[in-house]
Amino acid sequence: MNRRAVVILALATAFLYLPIAVLAVFSFNASRLMAFPLSGFTLDWYRSLAANTKFQGGFVTSFLIAQPVGVASAALGLGGALALVSAHRSIRIGLAALLLMPFLVPKTVLCIAQSMVLARFGLDRGATTLIAAQTIVAVPFTTALIASVLAGLDHRLEEAARDLGASPWVCFRRITFPQIRPAVSAAYSIGVILSLADLTIGLYLAGRTQPLSLIVASEFRRELSPDLNAMQVSVLILTAIIVVVTEGYGRLRAVCRRRTAPRSPSLASTERVA
Amino acid sequence: MTGGRSLFAMPLVVVLLGGAILPLVILAVISFWSVDFDAFELVPGFGLASWREVLGSSTYPTLIGKSVLTGFATAGLTALAGYPVALSLLRLPKRWKSVALVVLMTPLYTGEIVRIYAWRLVLGTDGLVNGLLMGLHLVQAPLKFILFSPVATVLALVYDELPFMTLALWIAAERLDGRLAEAARDLGARPLTAFLRVTLPLTRTGLCAGALAVFALSAGDLQTPNFLGGPSGATALASIDNLFGTAFDWPTASALALALLFALTVSAALLAMAILRLGGAVRVRP
Repeated sequence: MNRRAVVILALATAFLYLPIAVLAVFSFNASRLMAFPLSGFTLDWYRSLAANTKFQGGFVTSFLIAQPVGVASAALGLGGALALVSAHRSIRIGLAALLLMPFLVPKTVLCIAQSMVLARFGLDRGATTLIAAQTIVAVPFTTALIASVLAGLDHRLEEAARDLGASPWVCFRRITFPQIRPAVSAAYSIGVILSLADLTIGLYLAGRTQPLSLIVASEFRRELSPDLNAMQVSVLILTAIIVVVTEGYGRLRAVCRRRTAPRSPSLASTERVA
Repeated sequence: MTGGRSLFAMPLVVVLLGGAILPLVILAVISFWSVDFDAFELVPGFGLASWREVLGSSTYPTLIGKSVLTGFATAGLTALAGYPVALSLLRLPKRWKSVALVVLMTPLYTGEIVRIYAWRLVLGTDGLVNGLLMGLHLVQAPLKFILFSPVATVLALVYDELPFMTLALWIAAERLDGRLAEAARDLGARPLTAFLRVTLPLTRTGLCAGALAVFALSAGDLQTPNFLGGPSGATALASIDNLFGTAFDWPTASALALALLFALTVSAALLAMAILRLGGAVRVRP
């Protein structure tokens, strides 16, 4: 670890966290004007946020939308990943090309095209269409994540289970899934995060549903007010809590499992030693 | 047991066919329709009017070119910034690497609108940059040209996409045999030569993946130029949005969207080919 590497990493971290730090600083700044030099410390903006029912309603809506997106994109991604690592070459290439579409096509174009379809078929836009569209944008990420872990698994474990008479379902349930559980819970987190972070899809497909990002965007167009800072900081902290809790919960379960049943997960390591 | 698992992808395939492919097909069909502006209705049929309007105008091809340029610029700048960061991450002790991954990816958790908003606080007239410049007495009056300019747009796009590029380069560099660059140095190559002849060619798959992701994400971003670019923030995507939403000219919106998609796909393919052809050291398998 030389000095130049430390300096580069410090600079990169400073750049990546600069906007977030500025937001946080202004959320405690005792002035309506967001300008340097700073005027003093206050919690007024957090107090006015606590009284703002519109923002709170928006956050609850965003959170409720994000949950099904997380679950659906993890489940679809798991199915896609299982096929991606085991199917024939032609199926794999076709599936990969299909998955690249929502990633490479600009979100604006995709959402406008989806809006046209909904309008032509006379379907209403609302929470359901928003959840579906956000899931479509999230699945390339979740599938790639789960597939990358699946591809690294030791296939001999599954083969051994099948040789010993396990049905495909039991083999998946007892051998494959425990090994990829962290990747599936990470995929869920990615779905939730992408949903919470989204603005573009909401602009086209939310209908009358008002997630937080849409409320913020409309406030933002009118004026910059400091309780927006307080809210952005709160959203960031809440998002971080969601991530830490889901990841932490997954890890905790893994640890508990290892304690109660020490033999099954350590099979891979003993085999490697042998 | 391998073939049976392809069935598990069926729900995903159905969702993607219905939610991504079908809409794009409909988009292509509508691009040949026309609009009856008196009745405010779409008229199905086969005409090339909207395509002529898109390709015959001088505005739309320029805007498409601008999207492509924005994508190339962002990909190039994130690669320039991402390589030093990725190569420094390599030197971290192992247990710090998982921490570094969290530090690198966390800014992505902030919403699109949050990041744009934060950059306005940094670059604005009373923002951090101007505050610093004035505090150091480098300028007398705040610089007004930073925010609402192409500089602000590209800076914010580089910020948004840097984690993707760094991650792709980092993964590729971890697979690299570090002794190769050291050997080049021992044999008298300068640091830059060793990088250009050994590290760069051997990490080109990572560079290619990162560049494609960054290109697609930055060329396909409407909100960042819209909120930070000021008068320079006009994009092909904003025109598509306008034609679709305000003007109710769905056929022209569709034709422009498809022309943009075509230009982006061709440019991305050329970019990938150029990167994968980077010559230099011969790949050595350990």
